Amino acid sequence: MDRRRINGPTEDSFGPVFEADEVEGIWTPADGRKDRGLLDIRPIFLQPGLISQANGSAYIETQKTKIACAVYGPRQSKNTAYSETGPAQCGSQVHPILMSTPTRASASLQDAEDRSVAVAIHQALVSSVRLELLPKSTIDVFITIIECDGLESCVAAGSIAASTALADAGIELFGLVVSCAASLVENQVWLDPTEDEERVSAGTIVLSCLPALNKITNVWQTGQMPALDVLRCMEACQQKATAEIHSIVAQALLENAKI
Amino acid sequence: MASDDDALKAAVFQRLHPRTYLDRFVAEKYRPDGRQFDGWRDVSVNVGSISTADGSALVRLGETTIVCGVKAEFAEPELDAPDAGFLVPNVDLPALCSPKFKPGPPSDEAQVLSDRLNEVLSTTIPLSSLVIKPGKLVWVLYVDATCINYDGNVFDAALLAMVAALRNTKLPKPIIRENDEHVVCSRTETIPLQIAKTPISMSFGVFDTTLLADPTAFEEPLLDTTISVVLDEQNSLVAVSQLGPGLPGDEDVLSTCISAAKQRRVSLEKQIL
Repeated sequence: MDRRRINGPTEDSFGPVFEADEVEGIWTPADGRKDRGLLDIRPIFLQPGLISQANGSAYIETQKTKIACAVYGPRQSKNTAYSETGPAQCGSQVHPILMSTPTRASASLQDAEDRSVAVAIHQALVSSVRLELLPKSTIDVFITIIECDGLESCVAAGSIAASTALADAGIELFGLVVSCAASLVENQVWLDPTEDEERVSAGTIVLSCLPALNKITNVWQTGQMPALDVLRCMEACQQKATAEIHSIVAQALLENAKI
Repeated sequence: MASDDDALKAAVFQRLHPRTYLDRFVAEKYRPDGRQFDGWRDVSVNVGSISTADGSALVRLGETTIVCGVKAEFAEPELDAPDAGFLVPNVDLPALCSPKFKPGPPSDEAQVLSDRLNEVLSTTIPLSSLVIKPGKLVWVLYVDATCINYDGNVFDAALLAMVAALRNTKLPKPIIRENDEHVVCSRTETIPLQIAKTPISMSFGVFDTTLLADPTAFEEPLLDTTISVVLDEQNSLVAVSQLGPGLPGDEDVLSTCISAAKQRRVSLEKQIL
């Protein structure tokens, strides 16, 4: 019972149970991908500057995945000890809305999953920001997941949106961080997996990199994969991120700056 | 360069002396965003964009953006109300939408907003229409709205988003078999909700002696009074709230607002519903 919200029934509610009759078209990996190749990503729609109240913001949509990101700051850090050159802090928070996944999350409990997603995105971004130029300040990155289709792809899209928002806020960066996810399905690399594809995969990785410096900022792997396959996934991700996603982000920022 | 310089000076002036800044505009019979006192911002409503929800809507009122999703679940009814389902509306104002808000539990503003919306929304759907098996099983409709961009008049935008999402909602059809305790839902058949009323809210603010329609986030903290008028499709009143004093003199500010709201409701209805 949370008195700060409007509460539902006192007993727990539960999702409706559906008929167990012959369901057609349950997807299996043998069906392959209908609308794109294994090494294709879903089309990206990226719009910087959508949230007028924020210093910088971005909205990203890759088919079903929809994420909004806002950057506030740099603002003065509170409760930090005095230091002449102490670098800025960069905090990130992920906040999925309650409808973002097929089952409604409990409102009062922040899932442990949100934290780990926030940490992953934070790690991807933090080394790209020139924190040493902003002593005693804080940059807040807030991410709202409106709809999620595949957690790892969602992390990748969130990192792209956050980096775009940082650039939109005019914060000095070493380069744009772009990110891509890949799953190992039946010993093949599938880029930008959806929820269904992640479920049947042996393992999934998310790779974030700085194409401008040709460096990787974060790799997050889940599931089980031999080291060689991890490398195969990483290479596929990095190639896709550098060759395609980076120019999409740069183009979106450029078009927004022209207006 | 000169115009850039002037724009910066104006922005600094606005930040340091917001009241004087707005005063100067009001003296010229205009508002900072170019509207007249009785002007409304553009509204757009986009329904059904969240596939994981049973019904959803995205509403933009000027720059203010709200997404709302409806999720239907089963629950046992309360013992004292066996023939009533549940309608649970909540608004979230996350730290993302404005520098005013901090991460954490709902702010006071979000709590007040949720409560006011709950009162208005309770007129929209008869709770008896949400019963599946009397005393045994009812629908719970979770109506969750999240603010993505906070640029004033969130109450109007949130109510519009919730009503549009409820109108968009389709419940899976429950199949009730005799001699069977369990109720399952059809995967293919859906039923729309019974909507009894379509309330729409129109809000106003009083700045000194001027009545401003649809205030923005910049104007809201400077207002002496805020007035919300909620009307249904027959243009009859569902709720009215006035926080703060009326206009000085004889003018009855509330009836001015109600008649302005009625005009607005008619033109809005054609545009969005």
